Amino acid sequence: MTHFPSRRSILGAASAVALLALTACGNVAGGGADSSKYPSGPVNLTVGQAPGGSTDLIARAISEGASKTLGAPMPVVNKPGANGALASKEVAGKPADGQNLVLLNASLITITPLAVTADEAVNIDDFDVIAGLSQDDYVLIASDKSGFKTIKDVTGAGRNITFGTTGVGTGSQLAQTVLFKQANVKGTDVPFDSGKPALTAVLGNQVELATIQLGEAMPQIKAGKVAPLLVFSEERNSFLPDTPTAKESGYDVPVAQYRAVAAPKGTPQEVKDKLVAAFQETFKADAYKAFNEQNLLTPKEISGEEVVTQWKEYAAKYKALVEKYSISLSGTK
Amino acid sequence: MDFLNPVINGFAVVLEPTNLLYCLVGVVIGMLIGVLPGLGPAATIAILLPLTYNVEPVTAIIMLAGIFYGAQYGGTITSVLLRLPGEASSVVTVFDGYQMARQGKAGTALGLASIGSFVGGTASIIGLTFLAPIVASFALDFGAPEYSALALLGILLVATISSGAKTKALIAAALGLLLATVGRDVFTGESRFTFGSLELADGIDFVPIAMGIFGLGEILYNLEERHRAAKAPSKVANVWPSRSDLKQAAGSIGRGSILGFFLGILPGGGATISSMASYAMEKKRAKQPERFGKGAPEGVAGPETANNAAATSSFIPLLTLGIPANATMALMFGALLIQGVTPGPQLVEENPDLFWGVVNSMYIGNILLLIMSLPLVGLFVKILRVRAAILAPVTALITLLGAYTINNSMFDVTLVVVFGVIGYLMKKFGFEPGPLVLAFVLGSLLESSLRRSLLVFGGDPTGFFGRPISATLLAVFVLVAVLPGIRSLLAKRRAAAVAEPGTVQIKEKV
Repeated sequence: MTHFPSRRSILGAASAVALLALTACGNVAGGGADSSKYPSGPVNLTVGQAPGGSTDLIARAISEGASKTLGAPMPVVNKPGANGALASKEVAGKPADGQNLVLLNASLITITPLAVTADEAVNIDDFDVIAGLSQDDYVLIASDKSGFKTIKDVTGAGRNITFGTTGVGTGSQLAQTVLFKQANVKGTDVPFDSGKPALTAVLGNQVELATIQLGEAMPQIKAGKVAPLLVFSEERNSFLPDTPTAKESGYDVPVAQYRAVAAPKGTPQEVKDKLVAAFQETFKADAYKAFNEQNLLTPKEISGEEVVTQWKEYAAKYKALVEKYSISLSGTK
Repeated sequence: MDFLNPVINGFAVVLEPTNLLYCLVGVVIGMLIGVLPGLGPAATIAILLPLTYNVEPVTAIIMLAGIFYGAQYGGTITSVLLRLPGEASSVVTVFDGYQMARQGKAGTALGLASIGSFVGGTASIIGLTFLAPIVASFALDFGAPEYSALALLGILLVATISSGAKTKALIAAALGLLLATVGRDVFTGESRFTFGSLELADGIDFVPIAMGIFGLGEILYNLEERHRAAKAPSKVANVWPSRSDLKQAAGSIGRGSILGFFLGILPGGGATISSMASYAMEKKRAKQPERFGKGAPEGVAGPETANNAAATSSFIPLLTLGIPANATMALMFGALLIQGVTPGPQLVEENPDLFWGVVNSMYIGNILLLIMSLPLVGLFVKILRVRAAILAPVTALITLLGAYTINNSMFDVTLVVVFGVIGYLMKKFGFEPGPLVLAFVLGSLLESSLRRSLLVFGGDPTGFFGRPISATLLAVFVLVAVLPGIRSLLAKRRAAAVAEPGTVQIKEKV
């Protein structure tokens, strides 16, 4: 609780600055951006999630570092709605002068389009991705009462198994439905609004399994109240070294949450270079490294081009997977 | 005594200077709006909701809670002195309170009301302190089936206990249920009533609805009313009631505490209904009922105790189950959500500082109110002279600004305006906004819990009866649903046999 006041007050200051910035930006866009003078005022970092969640915390951690190097404040503006699609679409429509950035979640690009209509989906080609940030792993956990200790127990159970997901069109749902199909296990998909209620349902033995983000599951895993069966990352997670990956267990379903910073399409190269340099500087800072460690995030500080290639690969892979197993994430068959 | 540790830590939280300050601010605002007719606690909390955004969750809720129970104190003052109930829950205080004032016993009436409020409030907090951990110990047993049963029971009680016309309450509740369906279906990802707008994809947020209907709607409605100029109030002297007055009122304070506590817990109950029920009960119990309406001290002490007890105890279902019992609690629910805290059985365990901080702040708040209420009477009466033409535009502006800051969204501001107009029209045509807002909150809870339970049960509805808590709740649901029918049937038979008005009639008058 002790860290709360500072974050709250930053939030207040940030939203005030953001208001000012919004009005200032109007003028800049009208006059035509001169990229050599970048940044010409505060650089807004929009987040499509509510304050306090992991995406928001990451945005605040990088904005703190990057604003120092850039020499301009980088207020975090929360604009929650439609899994982040609202914020992304808004920033994509802003002038491409680098004054407005957005923090993108990979699932919005790679998984959500499988569950929503085409015009609700976000296209990564509308953005210039500046830098990749980190990887947040999904872990499959089992309730105490289920008696499952390994994935073998699940595949050998020979009955219908209930599993909680963090919602429709999320990595949690995709990872489990594909896993169940590949393992030929029958299961009922029970969607929750987010990770926390799904975890509570596992703790209360209302569902037998759930896949949630490692940061949320870790305290209960450590307390021995839930059993970790699998991580869905390509390699073992350094924070949970004894838990096998889905790949090791013979299932081809690599799912993790990746995050990256992006600007509207057509941002001048000079501006992008300055931003990249600012983020690189942040990645080196001890405070930022400690933040990743604390939140169980694995750094994945790759270039913008790499982010686009990898995310497009994942999108294609997931599309192929759901088609192969004729899975419908939206439940409307 | 491990159980007491978090309780004591909670006191440490309250005694932090910031929290004490906000508690004081809360109760002062509460008393203030309690004095002002028209502006109720629900409207005030709706308007001030965004201001709490930048403070810590505990602090925010401490202040908002202070507004709620503070308003119960303030409402009394004008009822007694000016025959002008500042609050719906103080309407019955007018009957005997004003009569007492005319007999030169205004001080006694206010003193009794303050003592009663303090006793009632404190008794309720003690009840809350012991009951909440018991409910919370079932936290993990509370799954989707239990929530479905609870939401169902809540909606039924809201519809049956509400104070206004039944049909209109049902219409308002139905509208609330309908509004709850807007947005992307959580189970299939299908868009419902979004008209292709991404802004509506997550459904309509509770906060703009509440700010519009309670905040803006109230402001617009009040503009229509021509306020009576404040009359010169009666002199206030001798606030310490005499021993005989106290003796006379002691019983009603005791009964009011218990009645208010239980009526406050019930969904759909709350301060207003408790005060009316207490008045009816006191009148019925009295040896000389004809004294009522002519300055009977019990007629002030009972209802004033009951409304404070109920204001406090209505926090129990919210903080322990995440079910708001009345419209004001629905707003508290919204305030907690804004702060990133989901009220529910886990709250006591996961956020003991918040839970006990808020509960214990009520002890302090009640003491503050007891100390302040009497010396400030003169000041509050002056405030009544502020003209609506000044007050209304300022509050409307604060409301709209506040709506923007929550999500940095102009769309939310539009929503507030739209719901403000709806709220105004509802008031004008005699629809209570409470059932709409409660049905909105409970409706989405019911839908998602019910569908989730059915998924877990493999589509078998008998599963609800296989779990002790949900089975019990459903049994209560059936009981509440059929009880009025049975009672009126019995009453008819008895009336036919004895031809004497039974208890039912008195209840109906309430």
